Amino acid sequence: MAFVTLHNVTYQYPLTQSPALQEINLKINEGEFLAVVGPNGAGKSTLCYALAGFVPHFFKGELTGEITVDGKKSSEATLDEWVMNVGLAFQNPFNQISGAKFTVFEELAFGLENIGIPREEMKVRVEEAMALTGIRELADRSPYSLSGGQQQRVALTSILVMKPKLLVLDEPTSQMDPIGTREVFSVVRKMAEEGMTVVMVEHKVEWIANFADRVMALKDGRMVLEGKPNEVLTSDMLAENGFGISRYTSTAREAKKRGLWKKENLPVTLDEAVEGFAK
Amino acid sequence: MNLNRSFFVPVNSPLHNLNPLTKLALVFSMILPAFLSLPQLAPFLAIPILIAVFIGRVQKQYFNLLLKLVLPTILFMFVMQSLFLPGGETVILNLGIFDVTRESMQSAFYTVSRIFVMISSFAILLLTTHPSELMSDLTRRGLPGQFAYVIISTLQILPQMQAKAQTIIAAQRSRGLDTESSFRKRIGSLVPLVGPLVFGSLVEVEERAIAIEARGFTSKRVKTSLHEIPDPAFDKILRGILVILVIASFTLNLWLS
Amino acid sequence: MNIEITNLRFTYPTGLEALKGINLTINSGEQVAIVGQNGAGKTTLVRHFNGLLKPTSGTIFIGEWETTKFSVAKLASRVGYVFQNPDDQLFSRDVLTEVTFGPRNLGYEKAKIEELVQRALSLTELTDKTDTNPYDLSPTWRKMIALASIIAMDTPIVIFDEPTTGQDAVNVARIANVIAELRNEGKTVITITHDIDFCAENFERVVALSNGQVLLDGPAREVLGQEKVLAQTYVDPPQLTRLGKRLGLKETVTRQEEFLRAIE
Ligand SMILES: Nc1ncnc2c1ncn2[C@@H]1O[C@H](COP(=O)(O)OP(=O)(O)OP(=O)(O)O)[C@@H](O)[C@H]1O
Ligand SMILES: Nc1ncnc2c1ncn2[C@@H]1O[C@H](COP(=O)(O)OP(=O)(O)OP(=O)(O)O)[C@@H](O)[C@H]1O
Ligand SMILES: [Mg+2]
Ligand SMILES: [Mg+2]
Repeated sequence: MAFVTLHNVTYQYPLTQSPALQEINLKINEGEFLAVVGPNGAGKSTLCYALAGFVPHFFKGELTGEITVDGKKSSEATLDEWVMNVGLAFQNPFNQISGAKFTVFEELAFGLENIGIPREEMKVRVEEAMALTGIRELADRSPYSLSGGQQQRVALTSILVMKPKLLVLDEPTSQMDPIGTREVFSVVRKMAEEGMTVVMVEHKVEWIANFADRVMALKDGRMVLEGKPNEVLTSDMLAENGFGISRYTSTAREAKKRGLWKKENLPVTLDEAVEGFAK
Repeated sequence: MNLNRSFFVPVNSPLHNLNPLTKLALVFSMILPAFLSLPQLAPFLAIPILIAVFIGRVQKQYFNLLLKLVLPTILFMFVMQSLFLPGGETVILNLGIFDVTRESMQSAFYTVSRIFVMISSFAILLLTTHPSELMSDLTRRGLPGQFAYVIISTLQILPQMQAKAQTIIAAQRSRGLDTESSFRKRIGSLVPLVGPLVFGSLVEVEERAIAIEARGFTSKRVKTSLHEIPDPAFDKILRGILVILVIASFTLNLWLS
Repeated sequence: MNIEITNLRFTYPTGLEALKGINLTINSGEQVAIVGQNGAGKTTLVRHFNGLLKPTSGTIFIGEWETTKFSVAKLASRVGYVFQNPDDQLFSRDVLTEVTFGPRNLGYEKAKIEELVQRALSLTELTDKTDTNPYDLSPTWRKMIALASIIAMDTPIVIFDEPTTGQDAVNVARIANVIAELRNEGKTVITITHDIDFCAENFERVVALSNGQVLLDGPAREVLGQEKVLAQTYVDPPQLTRLGKRLGLKETVTRQEEFLRAIE
């Protein structure tokens, strides 16, 4: 059985005219890395909230259909039980600091304190998580005196350290430098290989193609495509509907018109592009 | 800029090393006698307060707070009380319909001394106690988590608002709002500040509520804490002594009156 | 109006030295992108341009004005700065008030204010959202409002701090269009960005910062081709540049047309 199932999920925020998610059906296996793409307002963050239980438990509004994670139904759980299994890194990285802590190290321990992890284990886990995201030198800094990208790394690490079974990341690299972005993708890939199930909203198509197992494309609250990264991300439909596409794809599409790209499929990664363009 | 958005001064001192509950007990052993015992007592409590400030090594921050916050408040109260408290014969000053009498001034002096003791004791507690240690210690002793968080956020409201206000002022200046050149402009600039300050703080509170929820804040498991919060015999004995002292001061009070 | 930075050093009150001797001249009407690792000091640098931060040592001139001698409000008539975090910038109860705030403070005539505001709103497609509270919109929209509220000020120098984060392809194109408009009007545009493809397609000059110092500075093609040096500050060359290198093209290519011409 799939680890995460969304069955006919439709959700509408209170006081709005139309649903933000419509009839979403989706299965995710344990240890799978699913990327979610879509233009602004497509419902990506809403999907994250739904997976993490904030929709409808926090935002209210009406949810129909069923969300199941690890055999448990979200409608039957309370939010505090749900967040034990599902960790969410929010889209806005600037407002995720607990406000009660003085150093980054303490900030990262906050979640572990809440769920009663013993002190010694807590320290080990915080150290490990900081090493993963490359923020060890920030350990003693105040969480309020960081650059944008540093804040985002702290926010991401504060969720990773909790080792949720389902990790939901809403644009976790939006403020990060290019090589740092790639490193985050590779860390997430590694965690998926170790058995964590990952759903990650992203615009950075090249790295999705390199690291994710599967992609789902959302638009106007509906799932419009779903499948292998190189198939979904090179589809003409995406290019025509305001989705982000890689320069490899757009350039090859143009090259194809001019007879400079001979292959049937368009590339989305550097390797695919090199292979197709090389004489 | 207050980076930590809290009053806490991270230095090492005997006061910093006391258990948070002991410090809370100290606070109440100042406030209760100040308010419930003979009014003449309150002014003398300024002595232990000043000693505590130096033991806690927070004199700079304390006097800063005193100047900016405490003194204006108590001065205002002093003036109001001296003017409006009825009664008393020995008129010192006559301002139209108001008589400032010796008695009203004396009574005003006692009232502001009490207020001074209260604000100062809490200020020293906040200056020398890591807010999350206070929170952990209280929850460990059985105070519900949400309740503790409400207390902590209330205590941090001032520094948080201050930080938010600075952010908004920077944003408004960046768009040409002149707030620096004259006193009048400074006062005038408070008007566009108030609305966003209140509203912005509310938005922040909501976003923070979601963020801490995602990190298990309302979890029903028994919480642990990163830092050990020691509660040695010394603290326990000290608390015992404080309780006895408070009771003694009441008895004395009853006996004297 | 040139920007002239000499030996700029800046240390935060925490004791952290974020800028360690920056020398940089940006000429009137130039389009400059600033790239570099998280924590390199990009935001700290541009916050000096409108006086939000004052140098610990060294000087910055905006035209003939030295920033230490003028108030932030005064400098706002020359430098418009779109913050990295829109929530630090927005404070009004609706979009229209927000966008009008800047031009009104700068003392333009009523008709001109109206015109500037309308243009800013239409460039960012906010015209139908004028009555909405910015906080009822998503972070991506808030970013657009922040942008509109600065371009409405019509300053000769405009700074964007990571304008494209979280924006979809349509909005990124819209931002590119705004930058092109500003270029046509002869304005200086300085943009901090981690989106290197966007940088390659919209800027002539690139400055790479690393650890509080200028690592590289020059024409986009020259800077973006130096893979090894850029890696020191955690930056990859643009996708097409990397592709060109792998295909063994002799010249550094950064944009689609160049690339297609080179392989023809
Ligand atoms: N709290 C809310 N209350 C009401 N409507 C909301 C709320 N949050 C989002 N919406 C609406 O739901 C729809 C989907 O929004 P959502 O934030 O999920 O999109 P998104 O794909 O994450 O967009 P973005 O790329 O801008 O982050 C939008 O029409 C949005 O206006
Ligand atoms: N308010 C502050 N107080 C103290 N140090 C700060 C403050 N803001 C930033 N710093 C530090 O100064 C250095 C430069 O930060 P800055 O924000 O300029 O980086 P940046 O290049 O803009 O990074 P990013 O790409 O992550 O936004 C970093 O090490 C950061 O941690
Ligand atoms: Mg979103
Ligand atoms: Mg920055």
